[in-house]
Amino acid sequence: MITVIALLVASALISYLLTKKWPTAGAFFTILASLGALVGLYLLKDSTGTIETFGYLNFKMTTIGWYFAMVLGTVYFTSAFFNPDWMDQMLYPSAYNAFYVLSFAGTIGLFFAQDLITLFVCFETAVWSSTFIVLQGKSRRAAWIYFVVSSIGSMATLFAVILAGQTTGTFDIAAAFGLLASDPLVAGVVFFTFVIGGLTKIGIFPFHIWLPLAHGSAPHTFSPVLSGGLVKLGAYLVFLAAAYIPMNSIFSNWIFVLNKPLPVYILMALGAVSIVVGTLRAIQQDDAKKLLAYSSVANGGYILIGILMMDQMAFAGGLMHLLNHAVASAAAFLAIAVVAKRTGTTKMTELGGMIHRMPVTYIVYLIAIISMAGIPPMGGFVSKWMIFQGLSDKGFIFLAMASAFGSIGSYLYVFRPLSAVFLGQLSPRHEELKEANPLMLISMVILTLMSLGLGVFPNMVLTTIAKIQTSIGLTPIMTDGFKTMTANGSVNMFEVFVVFGYGFVLMLILFLVLPKSRRVGLMDTYTSAEFIYTPELLHYSSNFYAPFERLYAKWPSVLPWFTRASTKLKELGEWTESFFFSQSPTRGVMWLVVIAILAMVGGSL
Amino acid sequence: MTLMNFIYGFLVLIGAFVFQTTLTGINRKITARIQKRRGPKFYQQFIDIFKALSKSSITHGWVYDFGAIMALGGIAATVIFIPVAGFQAFPGLDNVFVISYVLAVGMLGMAMSAAGSGNPWASIGVSRALTNMLAYDIPLMVVVFTLIFINKSGSVADLALLQQGSGVFGWNFIKLPLGGIVAVVALFGMLGKKPFDSFIAPAEIASGPMVEYGGKQLGMMFILHELMTFIEVSLILNMFFGGGETLVIYLIKYALLYTFTNIVSQVMPRFKIDQAVLFFFRVPLGMALLQGILVIFLGWGY
Amino acid sequence: MSQEIKKDDRKLWEVVGDYFRANSIWMKWYCTGCGAIEMPPTMTSRFDMEQLGMGPMATPRQADVLLITGYLSTKTLRRVIYSYEQMQDPKYIVGFGSCTLNGGIYYDSYATINQLDKYLPVDLYIAGCMPRPEAIMNSFGELIEMIKRGEAKGWKHYQENYDWYKENQMYSLGEVMIHDEFHE
Repeated sequence: MITVIALLVASALISYLLTKKWPTAGAFFTILASLGALVGLYLLKDSTGTIETFGYLNFKMTTIGWYFAMVLGTVYFTSAFFNPDWMDQMLYPSAYNAFYVLSFAGTIGLFFAQDLITLFVCFETAVWSSTFIVLQGKSRRAAWIYFVVSSIGSMATLFAVILAGQTTGTFDIAAAFGLLASDPLVAGVVFFTFVIGGLTKIGIFPFHIWLPLAHGSAPHTFSPVLSGGLVKLGAYLVFLAAAYIPMNSIFSNWIFVLNKPLPVYILMALGAVSIVVGTLRAIQQDDAKKLLAYSSVANGGYILIGILMMDQMAFAGGLMHLLNHAVASAAAFLAIAVVAKRTGTTKMTELGGMIHRMPVTYIVYLIAIISMAGIPPMGGFVSKWMIFQGLSDKGFIFLAMASAFGSIGSYLYVFRPLSAVFLGQLSPRHEELKEANPLMLISMVILTLMSLGLGVFPNMVLTTIAKIQTSIGLTPIMTDGFKTMTANGSVNMFEVFVVFGYGFVLMLILFLVLPKSRRVGLMDTYTSAEFIYTPELLHYSSNFYAPFERLYAKWPSVLPWFTRASTKLKELGEWTESFFFSQSPTRGVMWLVVIAILAMVGGSL
Repeated sequence: MTLMNFIYGFLVLIGAFVFQTTLTGINRKITARIQKRRGPKFYQQFIDIFKALSKSSITHGWVYDFGAIMALGGIAATVIFIPVAGFQAFPGLDNVFVISYVLAVGMLGMAMSAAGSGNPWASIGVSRALTNMLAYDIPLMVVVFTLIFINKSGSVADLALLQQGSGVFGWNFIKLPLGGIVAVVALFGMLGKKPFDSFIAPAEIASGPMVEYGGKQLGMMFILHELMTFIEVSLILNMFFGGGETLVIYLIKYALLYTFTNIVSQVMPRFKIDQAVLFFFRVPLGMALLQGILVIFLGWGY
Repeated sequence: MSQEIKKDDRKLWEVVGDYFRANSIWMKWYCTGCGAIEMPPTMTSRFDMEQLGMGPMATPRQADVLLITGYLSTKTLRRVIYSYEQMQDPKYIVGFGSCTLNGGIYYDSYATINQLDKYLPVDLYIAGCMPRPEAIMNSFGELIEMIKRGEAKGWKHYQENYDWYKENQMYSLGEVMIHDEFHE
């Protein structure tokens, strides 16, 4: 592991120097570095349990860490293909490339950390380097908010780390968290502060405010990494807390809701709220990237619920959803990045008809959103299905309702960019656009095939997840050939795919037997016999769900609340400051007198 | 998975189409009788579909055709998954989520094809249809979750089988009355029957997603509509009305349920889309949650 | 009608197709003038158009018959032609009332056209001012028979004599300079 991490850190330096000289070469080097790391990680798959030490940093190879690292590696690797084409748009290309690789190193280190200190150091590496990349985007305020929210999470995690270390006398994750059970109060505090670090990173309500801002304004090539990859760091922190801190025993004095202690249930309810809020806000967005960012909030809710369920089905579903969402969300962000590269905008009201200029990008986006919305035969379906099965089996009716809402609601928001950006009328301004270049296509096609493969052969991943479940003492998910088994029935995704293909072929035959259609232009549509000559006027893209949005347009948002809180905090600071720093000589004399008195009296106290 | 499965699947597909299309024709006659008219021939629906298929057609680009084929393919696959009176062409693929989400492939395909035509009315219709779907699906899903919790099975065939044996009193519609009513109301939404038909609204948005279809694509959309009706009615029938012990009983029950929705819808006005959402989120969702709480936390009903 | 059997040059699938088309007629009503008022009674319980398999449709793409129910000003004629060209073959036109036949009471108006079949191929006229629902039903029966026999070939005639129709259309409508959506 250390070899991989060290090589990545070295690559960060090399790509910095290389980019200084030749920007494109440096960008290609990031592809190479992430590919190398991915291959290196894959080769480690059988070495579970090895421990390696580097100075104060201790790393341990675990199946879960390997799984997370592979997910992140995929996202970093595929997104890196876009770097060469964006070098001319970056403010500091060399810093971008270096931090791109460095944040990858940080995330891998985090997943393999054996002790809490290593964990925290790697966590900070990843957060800081990604902050510097977000800074190169459209808005400084977004990066600032990203940094502040991340800091809240980091501080909470640091507090948990130190408290756990001090109480138990060890920093080893499994040992320290296991020993905490003897002191339920401290364990509860550690659990919550540690989990808050995770929640801020996943973007769970009410910490979700940074996601749309940071994802929306980050460089187009880094948004997929943020949404598909870095968000999953939070999921890993939540996993550590949920797997190693014995939740049921430390909260044994609390009320239990359906065999879950109330505090854990509240966390799961926060996940459900994130699903609903993320869905509703995504429906409202006009910026395609912000829309996808809010969808990450919603999907983060699924992952959180799945991981906290800690059972056979929903937990496996949550872990698999992590991979599915990473792949689908990266593909969707990359497709939007292509559109942004060619047209210079991500506003849906300014786009339309892109399918006629970039059909492959369209297919990539289509498959990505099918997976994101959880429709078979793509990966997203299997994981959502498992979460649904787990929730309904245990009777979590409200969480299940939120999940259903997020699932059906996702049809609404994923269809919006499909219709407004890719379908509909092509504006004459975009008549001359070209398809994405081969380098971009390669990475998008890889992700698309992965989405499809995960949906048709989910058991490839589920066997790894079963190993993870065994390693933390859960009943592993059952698989049998192509069949995925749960307590409430099984599904054979391969057969579903074949039957779907069968239906498609039957209808294709029907279609081809019938007389051939005549091709007409896009503007030759029914307009109540009115003559319209401007394609933009025939394109419906603004206020898409107006009747539905109207119902919750006036609902309060948490962002103004945070803004108000920060204003108050600033005023408090100014008020305090005014006591100490002032131009007025009387204030100075006052403090001198106070100090003099304190100095005289202090001695006798 | 052998060749026989595929042949059975094809037969189910043809059978579903013929049965539902005949039933639609009969229901057009019933509608006419309600309005004191004579009404068309009972096989009028077949004539309409074949006529549409026989005409010439236009296309607005590949996605317009591809979406239509994908829609019909997805719907055809879903029909094959549906257990009819306990018979399944592909055993083991009848999980309720699999069915309701493969159904979504069809809907997405149709939406894609409609939006691909470049007609704004089609997009408006799709946006209304999706909002409508969000409205009726949430209450229905909550009831389905409750059903799975009780029966510990997500298979539609199992759910139907578990209700059989004790006559009407075994039906989930009787055992979970609140949930049953929610399911029937949701069926109106699924079928796009009045009062939840604002996404098709011919006089308002020129029949919404269908606006640009003519010729063979229109015929395919009609076939799609018949098959979708078959899926939706069958789902509710299997989950709440005990399916059918034999094919004849199944088809009779099916015909009664479908005719019921049709007759009721004839005396209904039309909801605006936000009214429909509010209605579903207030009344049926409340009922569904109440049913769920009664069953899960209090243990009533099973 | 003569009793001798006419030589039919339609192929088998065309005969079958014409059977379906005759028994399922979807109409696009271009409701100009006062004729539209006769349609509701034709549709509803007293006369019930649906028993012939006929019904209204929302858009020209879906329709088989373009029903023009009254006088046509030159401005509407342009729209009618546009709608007709958006319909799918085979398509039929029914001119309704004397306005479409010879201009009716508007025969000397500067703004209306008098004879619809100079501009579009009309398959069937329904005379009268206004024709009552009985007349409408009767003529629909006649249209059905015409389609069944393969005699309603206006759409083919339009394709074959497109230049002649275009010339007439241009003569009456003139060429339009387009400035923007609102000003021709």
